Amino acid sequence: MSISRREFLGRIGAVGIGATITGKAHAGSKHFTGNPDGVGVLHDISRCVGCRACEEACNKVNELSLPDLPFDDKHVLDKKRRTTTDAYTVVNSYKNINDRAPVFRKIQCNHCLEPACVSACFVRAFKKSKAGPVIYNASVCVGCRYCMVACPFEIPTYEYDDPFTPRVVKCTMCAPRIEKGQLPGCVEACPKEALTYGKRSDLIKMAHDRISKYPDQYINHIYGEYEMGGTSWLYISGVDFKDIGMREDLGVTSAPALTHSALSLVPMVVGLWPVFLAGMYGMSKRREKVAEQEKEDAVCSAVEKAGTEADSKLAKALEQSKKEQEKALAQAEKEKEKAVEEALKNVADTNPEEES
Amino acid sequence: MNKAKLLLFYFGITFVVTLFLICGLGANQTGNVEQTTIPRSDVISIDTISRFGKLERPEVLFLHDQHTDAMEKKGKDCKVCHQSDKGQMSQKFMTLKDEGAQALIDIYHGTCIECHKKTSDEGEKSGPVICNDCHNVKSQVVSSRQPFGFDKSLHFTHSEAVEKKCERCHHEYDEKAKKLFYAKGKEGTCRYCHKDKTIDNKISIKLAAHVGCINCHIKTIAEKKDAGPIKCRGCHGVDEQKKIEKKKSITRMQREQPDTTIIKIGQDIDTRMNLVPFDHKSHEEYNDNCRGCHHEGLDTCSKCHPITGIQEGNYISLEQAMHRIKAKQSCLGCHENNKQQKECAGCHSLIRKNISYNDSACATCHIKKDQETDSKDGIEAIKLQSARLLKSRPLVINTFNAEDIPEIVKIKDFTKKYQPVEFPHRKIINTLTNNIKNNKLANYFHSDKGTICQGCHHNMPLTKKPSRCTNCHGKPFDEMNMSRPGAIGAYHIQCMGCHDNMGIDKMGCTDCHKLTEN
Repeated sequence: MSISRREFLGRIGAVGIGATITGKAHAGSKHFTGNPDGVGVLHDISRCVGCRACEEACNKVNELSLPDLPFDDKHVLDKKRRTTTDAYTVVNSYKNINDRAPVFRKIQCNHCLEPACVSACFVRAFKKSKAGPVIYNASVCVGCRYCMVACPFEIPTYEYDDPFTPRVVKCTMCAPRIEKGQLPGCVEACPKEALTYGKRSDLIKMAHDRISKYPDQYINHIYGEYEMGGTSWLYISGVDFKDIGMREDLGVTSAPALTHSALSLVPMVVGLWPVFLAGMYGMSKRREKVAEQEKEDAVCSAVEKAGTEADSKLAKALEQSKKEQEKALAQAEKEKEKAVEEALKNVADTNPEEES
Repeated sequence: MNKAKLLLFYFGITFVVTLFLICGLGANQTGNVEQTTIPRSDVISIDTISRFGKLERPEVLFLHDQHTDAMEKKGKDCKVCHQSDKGQMSQKFMTLKDEGAQALIDIYHGTCIECHKKTSDEGEKSGPVICNDCHNVKSQVVSSRQPFGFDKSLHFTHSEAVEKKCERCHHEYDEKAKKLFYAKGKEGTCRYCHKDKTIDNKISIKLAAHVGCINCHIKTIAEKKDAGPIKCRGCHGVDEQKKIEKKKSITRMQREQPDTTIIKIGQDIDTRMNLVPFDHKSHEEYNDNCRGCHHEGLDTCSKCHPITGIQEGNYISLEQAMHRIKAKQSCLGCHENNKQQKECAGCHSLIRKNISYNDSACATCHIKKDQETDSKDGIEAIKLQSARLLKSRPLVINTFNAEDIPEIVKIKDFTKKYQPVEFPHRKIINTLTNNIKNNKLANYFHSDKGTICQGCHHNMPLTKKPSRCTNCHGKPFDEMNMSRPGAIGAYHIQCMGCHDNMGIDKMGCTDCHKLTEN
């Protein structure tokens, strides 16, 4: 739980980069049918009698707090329940449309072959183990609860009442017990063998066998064989799965495969983002440069224009002054000539008297 | 570098938020709106015009009984809407022949709207006059119409009412004279000729039944006699169907059928199996009508299904016709269905549904021929021989003597929580045998001592002292034999499975084993 903000952001970056690198190796790009030898549980809904022995065993094995009503109180079944932090598994009762005894269905984590919770978790707190169970590592969980949103079966729950170390909790398929060679708690407790534990491949074979032996008593479908890309928990039933609250709209594609095409765009976007930004940067830089150049040019031309204008003006002025000078000179000459002529005339007028 | 990471993070967040918004909006749109619906048995969908082309508006859901009742109140009868031809009331509305789309539209719009307007002008409650009120897709009415069948009891009532004048209903068609005639001894059920849809001049069973039944009922009512229903609900209503009296003592239908016979296999065939004597009379009692077995006509089975299949019988051989477990007309198919009765289902629902190819089961039907010769020939000889063979067959449920059957079997405690179960072994066997005492089929097949024991003591030979449950059922999830339940599972599956199928309410934990006192 102790994770610094810096580290968190760093991991996000790492995930982003990882996504760009791994590319095709991502789940969903090939047909995955589960790990060989993976284990699972077959729930024969037609055998379940709603005794809640599985709930009791689960409570005991996982050391959960005891519920308000005892496990042999059948009134609990009147209400539709979901998994909680204190009940990793619940049994719900459904009306039998064939006018017979009600049908009971056990709800718990289906331990998908390609789990949505695993693909939604960006810190890899959930992991699909090779053996079958989907296991949770509380030490890396950041409590984002994406897994709860992602799960198509609404299984993971969150310890909202724990203010300091809240965890996401769900059925573990009793992974620690399985490791020790024991049966999952619920399977061991079931008095009617409505739950059968074994290799998933064997369970599928067994389920098909049961359906073909008693074709009137079962719907010819194993729920979980292909749903959401296949689940480790499998179900066979005598009534339609949709009549006992099981989603039939999930399709056969696993969640990672569904999100893969959309999420594969993320690395592309992530990859393109720097290029885009660099482009933007480059463009703005170029624009600045161009503007600078234009400014310079404008100044130059302005200066030039001003220069030539001045020159022409000067030339004109010079010419004009020259003309004026010439004119003045000419006038002066004229006046000089006129003055000389007048002087000569005057001289001529006065001179004869003096001589006489 | 840090800046770039931050940017990446913000982009990611925005992307995810957008995705959630899109998903959220999408999820809101998939909510189901529940509509309250009114079930009715008289819903007729008027889509006659669709035969002449595509419908421009949605078809009209017409409530027939609502209109009949309204007419009745006004003292009017069927003639307001239905015309008659040669004394037979037509099923069509205001016409005898459909003459194209426009003609039909005019008839419907003209008559319906006119009448609705007139009625409302008179100040009475009336029907719609606006297009969408009739051509309405979102009608709240749903059809609860039940299919109606003519069973033995009804046949008896009708044959009594018409003083056994079979020709009142049964007829054949003369191709040359192009008319219907009655052929004595050729009677069959209506459906042999009148199929689901009208083919050439053979009108559909729906039309045939409505024309035939309703016209006769109307005439009988006109004669002020007791008659059958003329309204939809009379035959097709859920509650009304229950009110139809089931006659208990019914005189047997006479159609030259034998009391007993030997299943014919065809001429001059060297058979390797013993032939099967068949109690025809008893089987008539078990079935509601002849079609249960004679699904296409009242001929012998081997006419269409000889030893090797022929085209007329869809290449189904006699062996298949008699033994197909999934066919409801075959011997084994029908017998298998019988095992679903509560008295049988306790054991049989847990026994795999298949044909047991063993000598004793085969010999129950394929009885060995006796050496006696009959003085008579032909059909009479067959009748006599088959009757004698059937009589030779043991008709008794056999089981071991009471003292050989343990009275109480103690099933030890597997957990500390509960006390051992005291299983009333003998009482259960007695109940099972008593339950099927009056079932002839069960009697024939449980005549071996120990057959009844095999309901629980399965997968082992019939003996007086069969193995105990725990001899085979031990630890659960035996990897070598996954389909074999462990001891606890086996007990619960067997006991509770039987209780469930027999409708026994002992399903709680403490109904069988008491809690340990401490």
